[in-house]
Amino acid sequence: MSSSPTDVLVDVTMPQMGVSVAEGTVVAWRVEVGDSIEADATIAEISTDKIDTEVPSPASGVVTEILVPVESTVSVGTVMARIAATGASQPQSLDGEPAGQTRTETPIPSLPRAGNGHRRYSPVVQRIAAEHGVDLEQVSGTGRGGRVRKQDVLAFMESAPVEEPPLHIESPYRPDPVAPVVDGGLSRMRRQIGQHMKRSLEVTATCTTWIEVDMSRVEAARTRVGVTGLSFVARACIDALREHPALNAWLDGETYTRLSDVNLGIAVSLGDDGLIVPVVQRAHELSVEGLAARIRDVARRARARELTPDDVQGGTFTITNPGQYGSIMATPIINLPQVAILDFEAVIKRAVVVTDADGNDSIAIRPMTILGLSWDHRALDGALAAQFLATVKRLLESVS
Amino acid sequence: MPTLTYLQAISSALRDELRADPRVLLMGEDIGVFGGAFKVTDGFVDEFGTDRVMDTPLAESGIIGTAIGAAVVGMRPVCEMQFSDFISCGFDQLVNVAGKMHYRQGLAVPITVRLPSGGGFSGGPFHSQNPEAWFMHSPGIKVVAPSTASDAKGLLHAAIHDPNPVCYMEHKHLYRRVKGEVPSGVFETPFTARVAQPGSDLVVIAYGAMVSVAMEAVSDGLDGASVEVLDLRSLVPLDEEAILDSVERCSKVVIIDEANSTCAAGAQVAALIAEKGFESLDGPVVRVATPDVPIPFSPPLEAAVLPGVERVREACRELLAY
Repeated sequence: MSSSPTDVLVDVTMPQMGVSVAEGTVVAWRVEVGDSIEADATIAEISTDKIDTEVPSPASGVVTEILVPVESTVSVGTVMARIAATGASQPQSLDGEPAGQTRTETPIPSLPRAGNGHRRYSPVVQRIAAEHGVDLEQVSGTGRGGRVRKQDVLAFMESAPVEEPPLHIESPYRPDPVAPVVDGGLSRMRRQIGQHMKRSLEVTATCTTWIEVDMSRVEAARTRVGVTGLSFVARACIDALREHPALNAWLDGETYTRLSDVNLGIAVSLGDDGLIVPVVQRAHELSVEGLAARIRDVARRARARELTPDDVQGGTFTITNPGQYGSIMATPIINLPQVAILDFEAVIKRAVVVTDADGNDSIAIRPMTILGLSWDHRALDGALAAQFLATVKRLLESVS
Repeated sequence: MPTLTYLQAISSALRDELRADPRVLLMGEDIGVFGGAFKVTDGFVDEFGTDRVMDTPLAESGIIGTAIGAAVVGMRPVCEMQFSDFISCGFDQLVNVAGKMHYRQGLAVPITVRLPSGGGFSGGPFHSQNPEAWFMHSPGIKVVAPSTASDAKGLLHAAIHDPNPVCYMEHKHLYRRVKGEVPSGVFETPFTARVAQPGSDLVVIAYGAMVSVAMEAVSDGLDGASVEVLDLRSLVPLDEEAILDSVERCSKVVIIDEANSTCAAGAQVAALIAEKGFESLDGPVVRVATPDVPIPFSPPLEAAVLPGVERVREACRELLAY
C-alpha cells in the first residue's frame, strides 16, 4: 500500500492530557507503517506520570511514518506518526467489484464486499449457520456475485452430514495441572506502585499509631444522611488537620512545606490491576455530603479509567479505607511527599466499658473501629500523631 | 353456492343486512332512486324505502356526521362515499369524531364507510385514489380491503357487525372483473390475512386489486420458483402473525401497493418485517408501489404508474436471483 499524490498527510501528535502535563511516553503502537486505520480507532497507547490512555487516530488512512519509538518520552504536541488520509476522491477498496453491472429500476442494494474476499451474510443465513454450526466459508454461493443464499446453506447442510454430537457434554476427566507460567513481568501500574512504595519506605521514618473510636454517632448519622462512614472520617480528618496543621504538609528531602489547602487523597482499588489515589482538591471547603459526592465521583472515574493527571496530583493527606473485607488494622505506607496517612478499616460491634454522667461503669455494645495513622518521624513526633488521632476521635464521637 | 361478481357480493351483503337487522340503514349520494353510481344499491329503495336507503346532499361531512349520531343512539349506518377520493370532505367527522368517540366518551360508533377506490380505468386524479393509509394512521378506525367476491361479502358483514368505525375499501376495478362462489346469507370473514397461494421461496404481500396482479405475475411459475401470495384483507388490524409466518418460511418479500408509495400500507408491512422478521430475511425487503404522483387520466401514463404484472414479475425475479 502506498499513498497516492491526492492523499493528505495528517500528523498524530502527543495529546494534552491535563493542564499540568507536559510530556508523555509511548507505551505501545497498535499499528505498523503501511497499516490502514479508521478515524478514531486506537493508534497508540501512551502514559503520563500516572495515567495510561489511548490515542485515537485523527483520520482514516494509511500509516506512513512512526516517529516516536515505544518507551520514548516526548513533550505534548510532538508529532508521533503520520497518516496518509484517504480523501473522498479515493473510494473505499472495491478492487474485486466487477464494473459495468447494470441495474434495473427495482432498488435492490448490492452487498458491499471487502477486497480481501471476506463475505457478508444475510440475517437468515447467519441464523441458520449459527443454529446448525455451519462454517459459512465452506458454503459456495449461487446468488448474485456468488452470495450465499438461504437455499445454499440448506443444500450444504443436506450434503454435509452434521457431525455427531458427543454422547456426554462434560467428561469427568481432568487434565494434569499445568505448571505456572512465568508472566514476563509486572504491569506498568504494578511497577509504578512498587517504586513509589519502596521509595517511601527507604526515605521516610515511618511509625504507626492507633486509636479506638466509638462510631455510634457516625453510624446513626450516616444512615440518616445517606452517605458512607468514610465521608465522616474524611471530614473529621480535615478538621483535625486544621487543628494540627503540621500534618498537612510535604517533606521533600530537607524541604518541609506546610500547606493551607487540604487536598485529600482517597486510595481506590482497581481490583487486580492495582491501586490509584485520586485527590479531592480543596476538600476543606466541602461538607460531609459534598465530600461523599466527590469521593463517589473520583472513585467511579478511577474505576472507569477516566482520571486525568490533574486528578491525582497535589494531595496533602491521604486516607486509605480497605475495611469492607473485615480487616481491622494495617500499617499504611506514607504517600510521598506527604507526611501522614490515615487507615480506616472495619467498624465492628464490640462490648466496651462506658461511663455515664455519674461516673458509673457498665458494659455496652458499641460499633467500634481502630484508626491507624502512619506518620513520618522526620517531620513530626509521636505526641503530635497521638494528639491528631485524639482530635479525630473526639470529632467522630461528637458527630450530631 | 351462487357465483357472484365482487359488486354483486357487496350488494348481497347490504341486502342481507337490511333484511336481517332493522338497525341497519344506508346513506349516500344517489344511492336511492338512482341505485348508486355503480348500481350497488340498484332497486334497494323499492324494497326498503327511503328511510333506510337515504339519498343525501352532496356533503360527505354531513353523511358521516349524521351516521355517527345514528350509531351512537343504536343504529348501524352504512355510508357510501361515491368515490373514496371524496372522503377528504368527511375527514374531520371520521377521524376526529368517529375514531376518537370511544376513547373520549366511551361510546361505540358502529358505522361502516364504503370507499369505492382505486384506478385502472382512466378516472384521473380525483376518482382513482387509494386513501386507506390515511385511516391506518388514525387510531380508532379499522380498515379492510377485500380482493375476492367471497371476502367482499364476508368482510362487509363483519364490518357492519363491528362496534368500531370501519373503512371498507372496495376496489372499483374489481366490481365486475372478479367473480367467485359466495356463500348465501350472513357470514363474517375475520379481519385476518389469507394465503392466496402457498409457496416457500418468496412471498408477495398484497391486498385489494393488487392480489389479482400478484396472482397473475406469479402464475407462469417464475422459472420454477415456489412463490407465496399473501392477501392482507385487513390493514387495521394488521395480521402480524400471518405476515411474519410467511416471511419466516419464504425469507424473501415483495410488497405491492396500488397506493402512492410513501407511508403506504406496504411501508408499514415493511417496517414490521424489518423490526420483527429481520432474522428470517435472505434479501432486502422489496416494495412495488405507485410513485408519489397523482393518478394520470392518460391510459398509457396511468398504466405506467400503477403496479402492473410485469413490474411485479421483474421485482420477484430480481429478488429470487439475489
